[in-house]
Amino acid sequence: MTSKTPSPSSEPPSFNLSRSLQYYFKRELVPLLADLRLAIFLLLAIAIFSISGTVIEQGQTQAFYQENYPENPALFGFLTWKVILTIGLDHVYRTWWFLAILILFGASLTTCTFKRQLTALRWFSRTWNFYSQPRQFQKMALSAELPQGSLETLIPLLQRQRYKIFQEGDKLYAHKGLIGRIGPIVVHAAMLITLVGAIVGSMTGFFAQEMVPSGNTFQIRNIFDAGPFAASQIPKDWSVKVNRFWIDYTPKGTIDQFYSDLSVLDQAGEEVDRQTIHVNKPLRHKGVTLYQADWAIAAVRFRLNNSPTLELPMAELETGGKGRLWGTWLPTKPDLSDGISVVAKDLQGILLIYDKEGKLVSTVREGMSTEVNGVTLAIAEIVGSTGLQIKADPGIPLVYGGFGLMMLGVMMSYVSHSQIWALQTQEGFYIGGKTNRAQVTFEREMIAMLEQFTEGSAQAAPESALHPGTQTQASV
Amino acid sequence: MDLVSLQGWLDNASFAVLFLTMLLYWAGAAFPKIPYLQILGTTGMAIANLCMAALLGARWIEAGYFPLSNLYESLFFIAWGVTAMHFVAENMSRSPLVGVVTAPIAMMITAFATLTLPAQMQSAEPLVPALKSNWLMMHVSVMLISYAALMVGSLLAIAFLFVTRGQNIELKGSSVGTGAYRHVPYRLQKYGETVMTAESARASVEVASNEGAMEGLGNTAVLASPASSTLSAAAALPLSPQRLSLADTLDNISYRMIGLGFPLLTIGIIAGAVWANEAWGSYWSWDPKETWALIVWLVFAAYLHARITKGWQGRRPAILAASGFLVVWVCYLGVNLLGKGLHSYGWFF
Repeated sequence: MTSKTPSPSSEPPSFNLSRSLQYYFKRELVPLLADLRLAIFLLLAIAIFSISGTVIEQGQTQAFYQENYPENPALFGFLTWKVILTIGLDHVYRTWWFLAILILFGASLTTCTFKRQLTALRWFSRTWNFYSQPRQFQKMALSAELPQGSLETLIPLLQRQRYKIFQEGDKLYAHKGLIGRIGPIVVHAAMLITLVGAIVGSMTGFFAQEMVPSGNTFQIRNIFDAGPFAASQIPKDWSVKVNRFWIDYTPKGTIDQFYSDLSVLDQAGEEVDRQTIHVNKPLRHKGVTLYQADWAIAAVRFRLNNSPTLELPMAELETGGKGRLWGTWLPTKPDLSDGISVVAKDLQGILLIYDKEGKLVSTVREGMSTEVNGVTLAIAEIVGSTGLQIKADPGIPLVYGGFGLMMLGVMMSYVSHSQIWALQTQEGFYIGGKTNRAQVTFEREMIAMLEQFTEGSAQAAPESALHPGTQTQASV
Repeated sequence: MDLVSLQGWLDNASFAVLFLTMLLYWAGAAFPKIPYLQILGTTGMAIANLCMAALLGARWIEAGYFPLSNLYESLFFIAWGVTAMHFVAENMSRSPLVGVVTAPIAMMITAFATLTLPAQMQSAEPLVPALKSNWLMMHVSVMLISYAALMVGSLLAIAFLFVTRGQNIELKGSSVGTGAYRHVPYRLQKYGETVMTAESARASVEVASNEGAMEGLGNTAVLASPASSTLSAAAALPLSPQRLSLADTLDNISYRMIGLGFPLLTIGIIAGAVWANEAWGSYWSWDPKETWALIVWLVFAAYLHARITKGWQGRRPAILAASGFLVVWVCYLGVNLLGKGLHSYGWFF
């Protein structure tokens, strides 16, 4: 409010406030955000804070941090579990301060794009600036005054190098590689588009996970992450049936691929789509994508003596992180006084059978039978369940669009924009050039071109203008 | 044909050839007057490049997929990339100094792969389900080539820092085109003062060594504007081009190599993001390798922006580029030490 021209007292104070805010925005905030040094600082700050998230384990339990980062002795003298949990180093990429840096970076990017990049487009609206004075050539590093030479001999040389040539009387301007100037603008705009896409996705998308046994039908309910405007994305009028889940194994016994045969059913239960998905090949339906992500063993189907086929669910056993095991208890006497434990470790079809004492008594293959406790146990099937990751992300078209533009932009940005000026005067022929990126290559091109010139005029002037070394060398 | 024994022969051969090549380049830099050393160095680099290409080709035939499944294969691919990028840089600069920094690093990578890695990490293994995709070739090969280009660029930045130690340097080349103008002291210099062609320069090592810039390194590069004013005889001679110095050349080639690696890195990261989104529904998940690739990207983005920042031109961006070398290695190898995941090649301690 301390402006040099005091505003009339009749003006409402709110007007003053908005004026001074506007002033602050234009004179203080925008130049600060458009400052390249801030951008560099933010780039490096994001890099450094990102490192912390790769060194400290993310998303573990409090007990984990208590065990690995004890208070005494503290790692580096300060890094205790309390510090980690207080600052949020256990979930760096979701902390308020990391997001704040990202938002600041987004603001800097936006300001730079509009303030620096888009204004650079003014270049295109300008008139071609020919050089009309010999002194204008002196400031360029790669310039020469040639005793012979003319625009007529220069033009074919430039054409051969695919320069775009503009001529006005004795003055010439030529350039090539203009896309190298547009490239950075495209990259910055593309980053903004990607950023908008990411925000749209996080606001309107959702993530869900379902573990579904073979043969079951499910609706998407187990949503573990959804944006505030995601409700309309969650499907309510269709469901999915898992016809079958299976695993292909290599001859060595390692997993080759997971497969789920899925059917999309409408409200009437009619099949509208059917696909077999695997890792790297998801199913898409109405903007929702189902990915093969996990698996488990759901149940075992068996017969005892002459019973019909029975099914018992199998539960995952605690192994302390040493592989995955599923098991169930199977009674072998009508009064349930005796039974066996059935354990499976994968879907290759082998079941291990333990007795009440925990002794391994038999192994049995799917489709085979074995004699235990005086009864015949025939295994009909080990039922697997498929772990599906389900996602809708309406921001994807924007993100992919941004990605595409960014790839285009970075490739364009490799091109060096080269410009050449020439002027024919009574005193001589002046030529000069500059490029913004490939200085070394451009210098070579330029020298080669100048040499061609002097070679062309060598008959007239035996002393080559570009090889004075042979003359001056003797005096060294 | 026995592909396995051929591979065993080829990996040792590429290591031996690269070792020899390194010595040739170093000898060439130490004794620039000895002829043919540069040509021999370039030939050695070409042989090593072909050896490694043949090795990877044999793997491809043997395993049936593009050989990027384990650390051994990826080390050879990146070493191949370094030799390939060496040729790009050498062809750009026409300077034998490129090999002085690229040959040792390619040699060390092959040495690590052939001599240090245990045998079971060298053999080809089947791909895990998540990696069975055509995206693998697209994403991993582009990433590794970009690492190779960035490493060559960073090494040249280190060479630039070495050559210009104790000097104040203004950079040439950036998106806004700084450095295309004459240095102020040279502004009105005329024809005959600043020009030295490569031929004349080679014969006048004494003059150029006044600059201090090329001590012990020889000066067969695109040559310096001599500092001596002994040549300023005739003031009335016409205007002539001011040539780039050795430091300028190193810096600009470093910038161009990073400028080549950066788009490749961007494309590689995007390919990985698209693959991740197609395969399991999330284009970014802050996985350690992913994060480190982003860190590499950020560091080199900072470098590219530092070059166009007033007051920061000079050695400061080069320091950033040189530190990028370390960051690339942490991203490429260090993340393996952090543990498992799709991106981990495993480790052998």
